[in-house]
Amino acid sequence: MKEEQFIADFLEATDFRDPVEVSLDSELRNLPEWDSLAALGVIVMFDMKYKKTVTGDHLDKAVQLRDLYKLVG
Amino acid sequence: MAKSTLKNVRYAGMASCVPQRVVSNLIDCRPEQRAERERLVRNIGIELRPMAPEWQCFSDLAFEAAQTLIEKLEWSRDEIDALIIITQSADYVAPATAIILQDRLGLSNSTIAFDVNLGCSGYPFGLHLLGSMISAGGVRKGLLLVGDRCAQIGNPIFSDAATATALEFDSGAAPMYFDLNSDGSGHQAIIYPVGGHREPVALKHLIEGRERTVDLDLDGTAVLSFSTQRIPPAVEQLLDYARVEKSEVDYFLFHQANRMINETIRKKLELAPEKVPSSLRDFGNSSSASIPLTMTARLNQQLEGSQRLLMCGFGIGLSWGTCLVDIRDACFPDLIRA
Repeated sequence: MKEEQFIADFLEATDFRDPVEVSLDSELRNLPEWDSLAALGVIVMFDMKYKKTVTGDHLDKAVQLRDLYKLVG
Repeated sequence: MAKSTLKNVRYAGMASCVPQRVVSNLIDCRPEQRAERERLVRNIGIELRPMAPEWQCFSDLAFEAAQTLIEKLEWSRDEIDALIIITQSADYVAPATAIILQDRLGLSNSTIAFDVNLGCSGYPFGLHLLGSMISAGGVRKGLLLVGDRCAQIGNPIFSDAATATALEFDSGAAPMYFDLNSDGSGHQAIIYPVGGHREPVALKHLIEGRERTVDLDLDGTAVLSFSTQRIPPAVEQLLDYARVEKSEVDYFLFHQANRMINETIRKKLELAPEKVPSSLRDFGNSSSASIPLTMTARLNQQLEGSQRLLMCGFGIGLSWGTCLVDIRDACFPDLIRA
């Protein structure tokens, strides 16, 4: 999984209203619309696209987007 | 519970009732919330929600649904042996709402009437409970009233609805198949934390802000994970048990949770959209009423030519149940707005 593809998937899953520059170093908490809806989108993304089970605990522990990227395995 | 089969029980009919008032998630909010609401509606798939006025109880909607169904079926009221209500929106803490409705509907004093406290998973559980009483003998005809009054103006998910389902003894009826499950370790994922004996209502709970906990507390990620992990295998297992292929099921009716959950379940089961009707956009998440309400709102005409439905409810408890039901020749009145 290339980083660029993961970031594209992440942006599609989170469906942020306003365009936002995201890199793997981005801190999730600093993204303006990183909210419960975005979290649900990311869990579905992992489940359907990467066949990985990610829970709310995983998301709570993730600081940077890179931490989620590592979960792809 | 192990999977089970009920024999000699006929699904005779079903009616649904929603409040006349409808709230829009896009319009009925503060202007500054609209852009955010558009994103929300796009993702959860819920635009409109029937919402009862303050004075209207779940039982008022259930009464209308039951009245209509009894009349359409031309059932005599004194031959209805059981009235079971599945709700978390009782008229009073006690007595049970079913007993109040026994009188209001003009049913006889020999009617068995009681409430069951289940939410979004409730419909298959209710069919199993009433169906078991009929299958065992004694109860010949029974009504199952299912639904909730859980809409709040600020919560974009939930709506209000009530449904009435009629089951009767019929030695020629096709078997019904069930798989019912519970996982109380997840009870805090969806909970009204205040108002019971663990946490009686106190003044602090009624103050807006962080201390206000009388409202529903929902852990969205936990509910999504539970639903999308548990439900697809549960459906597959019930089909295996009943020896029924997906292609032999006319429609798959899932609890209407939100679009993300429902679409994930549908895709995992590789079901075509036209086999999985949705009422989310116009009716929201109406808790235990959502399966029968979707039947009324989306399928009513087609149902009269259908035979086999798979229904699956899941949610608060945590609790989930799946059933395969033959609805041949059942009666389905049009949607009631009261």
